[in-house]
Formats: sequence, structure tokens, C-alpha cells
Amino acid sequence: MEQLINDLKLQIKEALNLEELSLEDFDENAPLFGEEGIGLDSIDILEIIVLLEKNYGIRLANPKEGKAIFQSVKTIAEYVQANRKK
Amino acid sequence: MISVLSTNITSPLGFTTEQNYQAVLTGTSALKHYEGMWGLPEPFAASLFSEEQKAALALDGFTRFESLAIRSVQEALSHIQLDVASSRVVLILSTTKGNVESLDNPDQEGHYFPSKAAQTIAKALGISTMPIVVCNACVSGLSAQLLANNLLSAGLYDYAIVIGAEVQSKFIVSGFQSLKAVSDEPCRPFDIERIGLNLGEAAATIIFAKTSSKESWCLVDGATCNDAFHNISPSPKADGCTKAIEAVMRDRDKSKLATICVHGTATLYNDQMESVAIQKAGLSDIPLSALKGYYGHTMGAAGVLETILTMRATDDGVVLGSKGFTEVGVSGKICISNEILQTNKTSFLKLLSGFGGSNVAALFSKTTDNRQLTTDKKLHKAHTIRLSSEEGKTLTDIYKQQIGDYPKFYKMDILTRLAFVASELLIKDMGETQEEPAIILFNHSSSIVADSQFLRTICDAEDFFPSPSVFVYTLPNITTGEIAIRLHFQGETSFYILPEKDEALMQQILEATLNATNAKSAISGWIDAESDTKFECEISNYIIQD
Repeated sequence: MEQLINDLKLQIKEALNLEELSLEDFDENAPLFGEEGIGLDSIDILEIIVLLEKNYGIRLANPKEGKAIFQSVKTIAEYVQANRKK
Repeated sequence: MISVLSTNITSPLGFTTEQNYQAVLTGTSALKHYEGMWGLPEPFAASLFSEEQKAALALDGFTRFESLAIRSVQEALSHIQLDVASSRVVLILSTTKGNVESLDNPDQEGHYFPSKAAQTIAKALGISTMPIVVCNACVSGLSAQLLANNLLSAGLYDYAIVIGAEVQSKFIVSGFQSLKAVSDEPCRPFDIERIGLNLGEAAATIIFAKTSSKESWCLVDGATCNDAFHNISPSPKADGCTKAIEAVMRDRDKSKLATICVHGTATLYNDQMESVAIQKAGLSDIPLSALKGYYGHTMGAAGVLETILTMRATDDGVVLGSKGFTEVGVSGKICISNEILQTNKTSFLKLLSGFGGSNVAALFSKTTDNRQLTTDKKLHKAHTIRLSSEEGKTLTDIYKQQIGDYPKFYKMDILTRLAFVASELLIKDMGETQEEPAIILFNHSSSIVADSQFLRTICDAEDFFPSPSVFVYTLPNITTGEIAIRLHFQGETSFYILPEKDEALMQQILEATLNATNAKSAISGWIDAESDTKFECEISNYIIQD
């Protein structure tokens, strides 16, 4: 799980061009949305959906399904672990 | 105020305005379900020309996009006598992606540039003046008409040929699919069960004259306002759209409106936003026409096509039904039906909203209007910022050294980064900003870097992962939207593409715009960027000369 979390952090940082966010400061429990967390927006979530399909073979047709999944890197990792196809 | 001399609609429903009107009047839709089209893995519904129609429209030596545009203008010109070679005639091309298909086609090298397409179209038609391309995302079709109004009202030309055109492709459809915005069923504007938009291809032409007559339709007034909220999501409070409607309808009698021809894309957020704007502007009792159920979203053509259809319908005493609508699914109070209504009124309001946060409202009428907005303001440059890679610094270096507090910089494409950095430095130079300046930018290369980058995400069937965050930046007017968001400016934002940097023409467009609107200042200039190490930009803060 720890490896998966680290992989996801790196993939998200690269896919979303989070240039100023260091992996050390990227807390897997921090909320992805809002000022208190990473501060992602709706386009970022769409890009994470692409990332999940590309790297793990997971297809999420409706971004709304992802509300619970995209709480934090940890919740994404849990979802990936349970649903990954590659 | 300018008047309509002639029109044409060339779409899968017919090649003349009349054929299109009769088809829509009888409830015909061009929307069809497609599976496996262009190798796309997901199905979609769209309004596309058939192979027979494509063959009938094709012109030797021209791309599909250019042929379509030329055919449409030629048909519109066939109804009138106009010396198109005159220096008093200007061609304004409204398109969002133009010849983007040619990026992937070695046989069409160089055709990508929208200004090149506009020059090709102008030359084929015999037009001698420099064409102007309006690339303002989904609002382009109305922006182009407002530009015609500004230029003609300023006395720079006597006639404007406004052509809105779009052809669909793997590029555009996969991009909208990556944004989860496309429905594989015919769209349902404002409906409780709306599930997204359909895309469409068409060309539509309006030929405007400076002089007006009692018999003709007039573009009376228009306004452009940015939400300054988000690049692809409209403001939930409908800030920009409401402001644009109020600017146009201020001191005008709403009871004279036959209809509001809405944008009505059938996405959750657009239709909700428009309903809020309509209620806030006090227009809840005016019947709406949402026409995307017939043609889908024809993007750069939509504003022209839907204006022409609404003129024709109003001439016929009809408010067209909103095909696809059944039950209201928006919170703002609106008056909408899928049935045809009768009307004896002769004015209507046309609305469009689009990516980059732009909202446009325009008033069309067969009656004259005494409200005279055009003034004779002269502008001068108060501050100027020049950035060039020739000075040896990368754009990222300049950002890090002189700005450095906006992490979103790294998410932007190179063109938007350049516009952002230049505007930040300009604002610092200015000290304090005037109230909501118009933001009007020009370039030659459109969004070629982002377009090429997006293309790389879709060209390999084995590695087909269209990137939504790249697709957003395949519209050059996103540059103006990012500046508006950063500075919280809710004034006009526009993006024009020219064959070359023509400072005199840029100044004319700017002055004509400020003279026809309430804007008291502008941030405007030229931006073009190939990479972090190859860019050129000169933008200025213009203020009205005392």
C-alpha cells in the first residue's frame, strides 16, 4: 500500500504539473480539494480519471461517482488496490 | 447599429437559410448516434455532414473547413449585389478550431493557422482587405458580429461578411469527451434529465451593412462580460451572463422581445447558469429558444447560425420549440417549451457563454433604437510590457524571479503562461488598475503548442488517453480568461488572430471596441509563444486620452 501511495503521489504531481509541491510535503491524508488541502479543481479530477485508466486500467465514466474516491491520495490508493486491472 | 443584408446556413439540414428553417420548423434534427467514428472508443451523438453532402460541398484545392466557409459566403452573396473587392468590405471569421485536422495531415502542412485559412477563404471570394479571425471559444459567433458592429460603427468599413464555421473531428470530439461533457443521445437543453452536449458542424454567414433600413434586421447592441470564475465552469451566480444581459437591456423595453435564443448546451452547468441569469435580469416570462437539439453545438458557427434561424422564425411570427426539452431541470425561473409558439414581436436577445469565462448578450431588432453608444474616444498607451526570449531569460525564470506566487502557472500552456506573466508585470507597472479594463489579445499562431500537445494524446490508438487539462488550453482565449480570473475583472475579454502583427489594425479594433462599449480602459497586445525559450509579447495598458 505504501508503494502504491508513493506511486500515486508521483503520478498525480507529474500529471497535474504540481511543480511547487514536494513529495515529502504531499500528505496522503490531506484533502485534495479546498484551500486547506492540495487545492485541486474539477479539471484536475478529470486528469486523475485519465491517470487511473492509463496506469491501472480503471474506467470511471461519471466523475460524480468519484466523489468518495477523490477525498485524498489515500482514498484513491484504496480504490485502486480494490479495482485495479493492471 | 448595423443591418443584415443577406444570410446563409449550410448544415446537414440544408445548404440555404430557408432549407434549414423549414427543416427546424417541422422538428427535424440533424443529430445522429455514432459508434466507432474516427476510431473513437466511446460513442457520441452529433450533427455531421453525410459523405454525399461532403462531396457536394468540396472545392478543389481547399480543405473541408475552407470549402464549407466559401460555399456559405458565396450562397449569401448570391442574393445581393456587393463589390467584395472594395476596401470597405471586411471578412470576419468565427471559428474555434478551424483547420485543426490539418495538424495531423502532411498533405495540408501550413493550413493549420486560422489566419491562413481566413486569407485563403478571403482570396477565394475576392476580398482584398485583411481578414480577422475571432477565436473566443463558444461565444465566437456573437463576438464576431459585435466586432462587425464595432468596426462598421467606427466607420472603418461599410460592409462586414461574418462567417461562422466549424467542422468536427476526432480532435474536438475526444477533447469534449475527456471533459465528460458529451452525450451519446440527442441533447436535452434545460431538461431535468439532460446529460451533456452534442457537437455539430456547419457554416453560417451574415452580411452586414453600416446603413440600416426599416425592412431589415439590425444588430442593435451587445455586451461581453467575463465571469472571472473558472475557465470551463460557468459562475453558479451567473455573474458575467447577467451583467451582459443587463448591459444590453438597460433602459430597453423587455416586453418587445419575442424570444431569448439561449446558448442551451444541455450541460448541467451551462443551462443552470443561464436560467439564473435570465431570472436575475427579470426576463423569466420571455419564451426561450434552445436550438442545440436540432444541430448540436456548432461552436464557432453557433452564434451566427442560431441568430439567423431566430431572425427567420421571428419574421414568420414564430418562436421555435426547444427540441429535446420535456421537464424543467434548472433552478432559475424560465419560460420554455418544445412546441412552436406564435409571436407578433420583432426583437430578440441572443445569448452565448463559453470556455474562458466569456458571456455575450446581443439584441437584434427590426425596429430602430435611439440609444447611441458609439463615441469618439482616442486611446493612448499608458504602460507597456515587452517580453522576448531574445533577452536570454526563459519564461519560467521571469515567473520565478518577478512573480512566483501563483502555482497555477505551471498548469497553463505556454501561451497562457506568457499572457499571465506579461499581465502580472503590466499590473505591477500600472500601480493601480482602472475599473474592469477590456482584455483584448491578438496573435498569429492561435494555440498551436497546446493543439500539438493534445494531438499527441490521441494519435496512437494503443495509447489513446485524451488529456482534459491540455484540451482546455486548445482555445487561445483561455489566456484572457486566466487574466480575468487572476485580476477579478468581469469586463470584456476577446482574442483575435491576424495573419501578421498589424499594429494599426489592432489599434483600430481596440478603439472601435472601446467606443462601442462602456469599457474605459484596456489591456491589449500581441502574444505568441512556441516554448519556454521562444516567445514574443508586447502588451499595453490603454487609457482614454483626455
